[in-house]
Amino acid sequence: MTEDKAAPVSGSILVVGGGISGLTTCLEAAEVGYEVFLVEKNPYLGGRVAQLNQYFPKLCPPSCGLEINFRRIKDNRKIRVFTLGEVEKVDGTLGNYDVTIKLSPRYVNENCTCCGDCEAACETEISSDFNFGMNKIKGAYLPFEMAFPARYVISSQIIGTDDAERCKEACKYDAVDLDMEAKTINLKVGAIVWATGWEPYDAAKIDNLGFGKYQNIITNMMVERLASPNGPTKGQILRPSDSKQPESIAFVQCAGSRDENHLTYCSYICCMASLKHVTYIRERYPDAKIYIFYIDIRTPGYRYEKFYKKIKEDKNVFFIKGKVAEVNENPDSKNITVVAENAVTGEKIKQEVEMVVLATGMQPTTKDVKLPADLKYNEEGFIINDFEKGGMFAAGCANKPADVVSSNQNATGMALKAIQTLVRR
Amino acid sequence: MADKCLVEPNLEFIKEVVGLGGDTLKKCFQCATCSVVCPIAPDNKPFPRKEMIAASWGLKDKLVGSMDIWLCHNCGDCTTMCPRGAKPGDVLGAIRSYAISEYAVPKFIGKAVNDPKKLPVLLGLPVVIFLVLGFITGLLDFTPGGDKIVHSNFFSSWLVDMIFVPLAAWAVVVFGIGLKRFVNDMHENAVLEGKTDKKKLEIGGLIRGLFSVIPTILKHSKFSECDENKERATAHLMVFYSFIGLFIVTNIFFVVLYVFQIHGPYSQMNPVKWLANVSGIALIIGSALMIKNRMGKTDQVTSYKDWYLLILVLGLGATGMLTEMTRLAGIAGLSYALYFIHLMFVFHLFIFLPFSKLAHLVYRTVAMAYGEYGNR
Repeated sequence: MTEDKAAPVSGSILVVGGGISGLTTCLEAAEVGYEVFLVEKNPYLGGRVAQLNQYFPKLCPPSCGLEINFRRIKDNRKIRVFTLGEVEKVDGTLGNYDVTIKLSPRYVNENCTCCGDCEAACETEISSDFNFGMNKIKGAYLPFEMAFPARYVISSQIIGTDDAERCKEACKYDAVDLDMEAKTINLKVGAIVWATGWEPYDAAKIDNLGFGKYQNIITNMMVERLASPNGPTKGQILRPSDSKQPESIAFVQCAGSRDENHLTYCSYICCMASLKHVTYIRERYPDAKIYIFYIDIRTPGYRYEKFYKKIKEDKNVFFIKGKVAEVNENPDSKNITVVAENAVTGEKIKQEVEMVVLATGMQPTTKDVKLPADLKYNEEGFIINDFEKGGMFAAGCANKPADVVSSNQNATGMALKAIQTLVRR
Repeated sequence: MADKCLVEPNLEFIKEVVGLGGDTLKKCFQCATCSVVCPIAPDNKPFPRKEMIAASWGLKDKLVGSMDIWLCHNCGDCTTMCPRGAKPGDVLGAIRSYAISEYAVPKFIGKAVNDPKKLPVLLGLPVVIFLVLGFITGLLDFTPGGDKIVHSNFFSSWLVDMIFVPLAAWAVVVFGIGLKRFVNDMHENAVLEGKTDKKKLEIGGLIRGLFSVIPTILKHSKFSECDENKERATAHLMVFYSFIGLFIVTNIFFVVLYVFQIHGPYSQMNPVKWLANVSGIALIIGSALMIKNRMGKTDQVTSYKDWYLLILVLGLGATGMLTEMTRLAGIAGLSYALYFIHLMFVFHLFIFLPFSKLAHLVYRTVAMAYGEYGNR
């Protein structure tokens, strides 16, 4: 690609959110020659995808997609990445936005080589948000092996303690900087793409499904972490109460989704996610009995249908049409009994299993806390794209529940929308 | 399992159920949450999920003759947990109301009772009958006089019984005809759906079933099993027992009048009078509580059929007690007028008993008895 063939550049683009959608928008825009700022609130890029064990339906690890994207970002001089950053204010109008971004301190500078000496020196352990609190990590940590930027983080929880000093002492490269302070930067951009993504719906809010009350009821995202080689169990799927290999597992579909009392919409991914989890379990436990309780299995499109069909061939996977509406725990064995009505036979089923997975849905991060910009939201908190008005766009799951493929397609489209905003001026 | 099943939807039935307070029924997407959260649905063919789809498909015959719609005590647990706002509790209530009009003959009366436009006619009916019969027989005296207020001087006991004894018989006959069909349909439906282990219906067994559910009904224990029902159970229990109390009182005084030839008004020191007063007060408080609960429950549909019955019951209690109080206070004109209105309420109670929502006392009792007999 030569310079003179590049598109006319006027102004730059801000992408908020460094998950798979944000990465895609950022790269698509930057690779045709636009200057892009990428702001991510976590200390790492990759978002929810980074927490997955495998993508569906190809069952490849997310490292493949993310690694390539990280490489492309590293090689592109048009991109500036800000991690630990949050947008505080957006002023101005289309083509001329004035954005204030707050950057929280990482306490580790660019000298970091990821040697891990600070981690070894640190004594305090904190709960791992990345692993949904299923294990503890040191107060000085690398978010995950492949983290980008490849740099340690000193948790603010240990700042001011002897531990922080110990980390500083341990670092041979002078990378730990405990005096680092939060700062505010201002950016002038022509267009903004909000790729603020989603969070798992809080399963504890679903009273009748016992999450948080019974140990052996976990969520689908927890299964991803358990199955991940870099997860809390190094890829073993074990039930929480006694770390036993479960011989029977029930999946509760639509846990909170398609429910007026929780999320009114279909979260789109949970059916495929549970079917994918069946493959995780089958790979590890060839004889485990798996029960999937559903309202309808939603596997749209040829490839997903094929995936579903393949899972159905498994003689030890039982599909039961009927939503689980009651769970009970056996206090001795800690096994869970799920109760549903099989709507095909009209019989009430009480199935005892060793572990239950709630297929919880996705809630936009903008559900409760709105962004500091002039945006419209629907009742569920997803950002509505106002193409008439233009200038700011929502990509991926900030706009609607979606899988990785659709998010990427949508994110590419939003990169184009952002570019058009700049060019039309 | 049959290879082919031709569903013949009765669209008229769907429309009527929608009109009777089941307007949410089409929202159901058959997730079956309701059948699981229902505290009283059995494990074998639980309700109300299957009733929701049958209603949606217009399968009238499957529903009106089903015992399950009566085993439901309308607590609303299903409605609370429903992910779609399909309100299975209200839909079942609407189906029950439809079933009552279906079994009570002649059907046009049932239709009229559920139609607010017919209310003026229904209200006028007792007035006309009272006046016409009163004038013909001369048993209605608008100038009773005397220094004591004696209601039978105004509206003779003979006239009361000339009207109400046949009316009571009417209610019994209408119920009898309806029940005969209902019991047969219920059995047929239960056999078809595998809800009973009895092949042939035996009336003796059904009656034994009836005796064994009486304690359940008297204690309202099924009613109270529903989580959302605690307050409603109290109100319902008060109304229920006050009706029993008043039934006993009426029968005793009937015997006292005709066998012992002793005319009212009876002394306030009489224990039967105590029962009457306690029952009357319980009726007023119970029905007022019911209205209060209804008003407080925004997620529950309250349709005309519900208001008709609630106001009938409250009016019955209130006019009855006020008649007595004004008599004791010596306000003659008002007391006589109230008595007349009270009799209008009683007239409605008797004549429309098999047609209004109140008929549930018979249908639910019989369905529960059948459930007990058929090992539901």
